[in-house]
Amino acid sequence: MKKSMLAALAAATALGCLPAIAEDLITSDRVGPSDAPKKMVFRMTGDGPSSTDPTWAAGYAKLYTDFINNHPGWQLELQMMTGDISQEQARMLEQAKAGHAPDCAAVDSFVLPLFKQAGVLKSLSPYFTKEEVDQLFPFVRDGVTGKDGQIYAWWWSTDLRVLYRNKEIVPDAPETWADTKAAALKSVEAGMEGILFNGSRYEGTTFDWLGNFWGQGGKLVDDAGKPVFADADNRDKFVKAVNYYRDLVESGAAPKRVATIGNYDDFNAAAAAGTTAMFVGGNWQYRQLQNSMEPEEFAKWTFSMLPGITADERSTGTGGWTVAAFSSEPEKVEMCAALAREIYMGPANALQEQLPTRADLYDKYEVFKSEANQTFAKALKVGQARPGVLIYPEISNQIQIMMGKVLTGAETTDAAVDEAFKATLDAYARL
Amino acid sequence: MSARAVRPKLPFLGVAGRHNRVPSPYPWLMPVILVMGLFYLYPVIDVFRYAFTDLTLLGGEGHYTLSTFANVLTRPELLQILWVTFVFTAGSVIGQQVIGLAMALVVVRSEKRHLFGTTILRTTALIAWVVPGIAGGIIWKMLFNEAPFGGLNSLLRLMGMAPVQWLSDPDVVMWSVVLSNVWRGTAFSMVVMYAALKAIDPSLYEAAEVDGASARQKLFFVTLPQLRPAILVNMILITIQTLNTFDAIISLTGGGPGRATEVLSLYTFNVVFRNYDLAAGSVLSILMLVISLTLALIYAGFLPKDDKA
Repeated sequence: MKKSMLAALAAATALGCLPAIAEDLITSDRVGPSDAPKKMVFRMTGDGPSSTDPTWAAGYAKLYTDFINNHPGWQLELQMMTGDISQEQARMLEQAKAGHAPDCAAVDSFVLPLFKQAGVLKSLSPYFTKEEVDQLFPFVRDGVTGKDGQIYAWWWSTDLRVLYRNKEIVPDAPETWADTKAAALKSVEAGMEGILFNGSRYEGTTFDWLGNFWGQGGKLVDDAGKPVFADADNRDKFVKAVNYYRDLVESGAAPKRVATIGNYDDFNAAAAAGTTAMFVGGNWQYRQLQNSMEPEEFAKWTFSMLPGITADERSTGTGGWTVAAFSSEPEKVEMCAALAREIYMGPANALQEQLPTRADLYDKYEVFKSEANQTFAKALKVGQARPGVLIYPEISNQIQIMMGKVLTGAETTDAAVDEAFKATLDAYARL
Repeated sequence: MSARAVRPKLPFLGVAGRHNRVPSPYPWLMPVILVMGLFYLYPVIDVFRYAFTDLTLLGGEGHYTLSTFANVLTRPELLQILWVTFVFTAGSVIGQQVIGLAMALVVVRSEKRHLFGTTILRTTALIAWVVPGIAGGIIWKMLFNEAPFGGLNSLLRLMGMAPVQWLSDPDVVMWSVVLSNVWRGTAFSMVVMYAALKAIDPSLYEAAEVDGASARQKLFFVTLPQLRPAILVNMILITIQTLNTFDAIISLTGGGPGRATEVLSLYTFNVVFRNYDLAAGSVLSILMLVISLTLALIYAGFLPKDDKA
């Protein structure tokens, strides 16, 4: 009896030890052996092994495993951000100022100026060659470079907004606002909802729409960073761009519910459900549509550059993600730079088909030679990044509020624009 | 001799005579005082300190100033924010109180009659209560979705009714938000009212029946007067809870369209986490504190006073 109990105990102990012996290199919150002496905390978005897309998750798992194998003695503690990016980034900025930031983190390109201004980032210049930095698109290079000429983050992916359409219902790409309205009304006649776009209290509302303003040559801020979007030179362009969206809703070319949309997934859902024929979305959605639709359904969908007031006055917003270091330990800063280089600077772009920020990478990876990605790359030429100024988040906030009032008909466009401009100038005066 | 006369005098800090030494309460209270001070009082003091500065998250140490108060309290949007907060709070508190009381009455009555489904009703209401605010917002967002495949509008279409612009009509959206908040918070009121109903002396109802009181008369002349303290305490609690609600709103409407559903707590959140303005956020937090305290004091004024001997 005693013997059998001892045997059972031994078996149980051995079984209990198995997980430790065959420890996974990747768990939901760790990469590398748990007893590795050196640890770097990396706060990340869904662009990693925890991606909701199984293909991407598997791809990232391999990239991270290879990375950690190349850096013996290290483990990465992974901290996931929620989907509320603005809040996450604000919290991280607060933590960084209090000295409690993660060692390394994903920083959204549009808030990077705030982190640079706060002086909480460590220079990554020693870890990237001049040639590599020179290969960055100019707006990307300017975005990551500080006043001292050092680079404070590695901007690894960029994105842009395009007009998606169902070719069966809208065969020709609309090039102007008038074309878009006509095509959307035609889709409504076919039983669809019309064109969809973000219109609620959400950063995408501002950013997706800004191309309409920029395409006319409008400027959000002057060279000193002061808001000028509704001053004498820009007001007319701004009001025209707002009225374009207003007219889409009032004419029935877009449903009123656009004032409640603040999520790109809503467009994928509507496209998959066959209730819309057109929407303003991001380039990353092309792959999402492909993954979520049957091949014959996906074949009906295509995209084109955002329309302009005329075919020659077009632009689009470009954003993207950076990797930045906060740690005061040089070894961890170097590890952070290595992470950006070995996982994100190229391999992650290819895996997720996220547009690279270096011109040479479009030739390096086969996936970027596809017709779709070549078209995206062409559209990038008219792309504009959000201005890297401290007042931008408030400009965006005011545009979101203004858009809600305009799209629901609660206020006239002129009144809403004036209110937004005054509130922004007041906020600028407080900075 | 009254009880007061024989009560031993409690010594200050436990210093007492040799024969009636009473241990000091302070060592026992110290952990609570420390925890309360550290986790509750210190942040409140910090909020007051920040309110007298121009501190932001964008850099710089900040300076002590009174201008933040003047600047925040004179913002043109503040009046609208306060009005939205008032409508949201009043609608939610009245809805939760009335429906919570009605449900408690139904539960108590059905328990007395051993009706089937009492537990199901109670459990269903409690499930809504334990759902986190963000999740509740997302659930209602799916229900209110105005797309052709949206939850409630699909039901309306099935019944041959016109769809409703639940979230995009500025005149309707506030009531949609109130509805979602009432759904979530009613269970709390139901539990409080249920406990208070159970505590009512049954002899009062027996006496009312002897007097020939109708069910309506028993409700208005026995039940409600007996529930008055519980109703007032419940209203204090749910008012403060509602004033602090922003998680359900942020996931349901984000405060929009425009500022149609931007309540004070959400505005404060936006000022800190979107505008990075710590000082202004602190002033708004103090404003919320003042409003909560004022309302609590007003409610407390209606509480029945202890009977004098």
